[in-house]
Amino acid sequence: MSDNIVRYCPRGRARAIKGFLRQFLSYGGAQVGLVCLVFFLVVGAVPNILAGPLQTAINATGDFLAPPSGEHLLGTDEIGRDVLNLVLHGARISLTIALLATVISLVVGTTIGTTAGYYGGRVDVWLMRLTDFFFVMPSFVLALVITPVVLEVMGRGGEILGFRPSLFVIIVVIGMTSWSFVARIVRSQTLSLKERPFIDRARVAGSSNFGIMVRHILPNLVPQIAANGALVVASAIYVETSLSFLGLGDPLQPSWGTLLSLAQRAGAASAGAWWYLGAPGLCVLTVSLSFVLIGSALDDTFNPRRRVIP
Amino acid sequence: MPDTAGILRLESLQVHFPIQGGLFDRVLGRSVGAMRAVDGIDLNVGRGEIVALVGESGSGKTTVGRVITKLAKPTGGRMLFEGRDMRSVEGFSALRPYRRRVQMIFQDAYQALNPRHTVFDIVAEPLQSLRLVGNATQLADRVSEALAAAGLNPPGDFFARFPHELSGGQRQRVVIAGALAVRPELIVADEPVSMLDVSIRAQILQVLVDLRDRHNMALLFITHDLPLAWLIADRIAVLYLGKLVEIGSADEITFNPRHPYTVALRNATPQIGGNAGRAELPALQGEVPSAARVPKGCRFHPRCPLAFDRCKAEEPPAIEVGPQHLSACWLAK
Repeated sequence: MSDNIVRYCPRGRARAIKGFLRQFLSYGGAQVGLVCLVFFLVVGAVPNILAGPLQTAINATGDFLAPPSGEHLLGTDEIGRDVLNLVLHGARISLTIALLATVISLVVGTTIGTTAGYYGGRVDVWLMRLTDFFFVMPSFVLALVITPVVLEVMGRGGEILGFRPSLFVIIVVIGMTSWSFVARIVRSQTLSLKERPFIDRARVAGSSNFGIMVRHILPNLVPQIAANGALVVASAIYVETSLSFLGLGDPLQPSWGTLLSLAQRAGAASAGAWWYLGAPGLCVLTVSLSFVLIGSALDDTFNPRRRVIP
Repeated sequence: MPDTAGILRLESLQVHFPIQGGLFDRVLGRSVGAMRAVDGIDLNVGRGEIVALVGESGSGKTTVGRVITKLAKPTGGRMLFEGRDMRSVEGFSALRPYRRRVQMIFQDAYQALNPRHTVFDIVAEPLQSLRLVGNATQLADRVSEALAAAGLNPPGDFFARFPHELSGGQRQRVVIAGALAVRPELIVADEPVSMLDVSIRAQILQVLVDLRDRHNMALLFITHDLPLAWLIADRIAVLYLGKLVEIGSADEITFNPRHPYTVALRNATPQIGGNAGRAELPALQGEVPSAARVPKGCRFHPRCPLAFDRCKAEEPPAIEVGPQHLSACWLAK
């Protein structure tokens, strides 16, 4: 009998996941979003192979602000660097920041939301007041204030996992300022879940509160977390771009926002260098749009009542 | 010396839910009152005995079940399990030994199963949480055993299924298997068949009776259906608005009811061929009053066709009307 578990249980899960994927992939939005996302993830993973090492003022090869040509597909910037090279390297930075910030945001938001909703009472009141604080506080302004302070305290030197520490400051700041909306959604869902009879059954079965939260409530929150997580990524990309645009990015590791900032400062708009502003701008737009598309397709897949009946 | 023959004993058990007043009441410190869901119940369940708790909706029968399974807290009285008062035992680890011996079958099998767990996960959960198995082999054996005992054969076929892939009867069997898996000594079954087709009911009831016969397991069977109670139970306790109005052997309660409420319940049962020759009393009028406003005197008097002055003033005690047959009615003598 013991090999039955090994044989049968993964199969049940695999079947459920397969059915879910089939449904998910049947949405046009999901297909477009996934294709774009995979494209940028690949680009972000291996920019060195696709465009060579990151160009700097020292190893720049092109003319100043040259329009797109065969040699420089997306033209060059004001110091002669290839814009394609910069954008590809920027993908790596932008996506890393956005995805890691989202992970932080989801972990913090889910933990606080589930705890508040499940325990209720005083715990709920205090955790929700904290959430309200972050909720009403415009996260962008908060990030704008915190980032330079933390950067000053931590210093800009050194390296963590091949990234400069200033990057992690931005990740943590974005993560810590965007979890409140996740916490609200998770809490409301937990409030309704904890009244369901299967929670009573789990209690009679001897599960601890922690066990109930992890084994019963969390799996039922996956739809909300996944669908909203995709939206959090989209907004994280925007916040990161905005912060970098305002000069809080790291010039030695340019993200798309940093590029936009450089382009603006170099007077790309007035000089008619549309490629310099357009390339990173279009990337930001495409990636955040693809996350929104994926998020809404996930929402439709998980929520059968919103499914379009063919 | 507490009764050692019985496995569970409720002594004037009471569950009052405070009514949340408005801001005005709270500022003034005014008490708004309480929902008297369970208002002093004495009940004894013996080993291997099937006791049916019968009552209309709102009578507090589910609350009694929830108190016994420690899902609700009593506000008064005692709940003795083998002579030990379980009221003060709190916390999942302190309750573990109790949970190994007392399990519950839930009414709504659609809702009582986590939609994201497989049948195996569901039945294995109590075994794992209550630390009843040592390794995966034992776990699989116990799960198979429980599923087979609940009538799901062959058990292996159901391991990987999700609740939404099962029929209503199969789901209820999974709920039962989850309760059986720990081999409890007492099961509280809250309307285990009310959501099922009539054709499946008999099979599920048979599973429960078999368990009692084979493992000497006690069963508290909560239902609104008097004939069903007679079918399965050794003794029947009739609950009205949080209080037992009549208790006795299943045959006595069904064929010789001494409380007008029990009579009315029996007459309310539709029967093939009509109710000819049974209409000793007119049918009940109105609804069960709210547990927040329990009538004075006998709580049944506003709806009782036989009520007289004394009923409005004094609450009748449980009067012995036969061997082990108690009825709380002034007319019972």
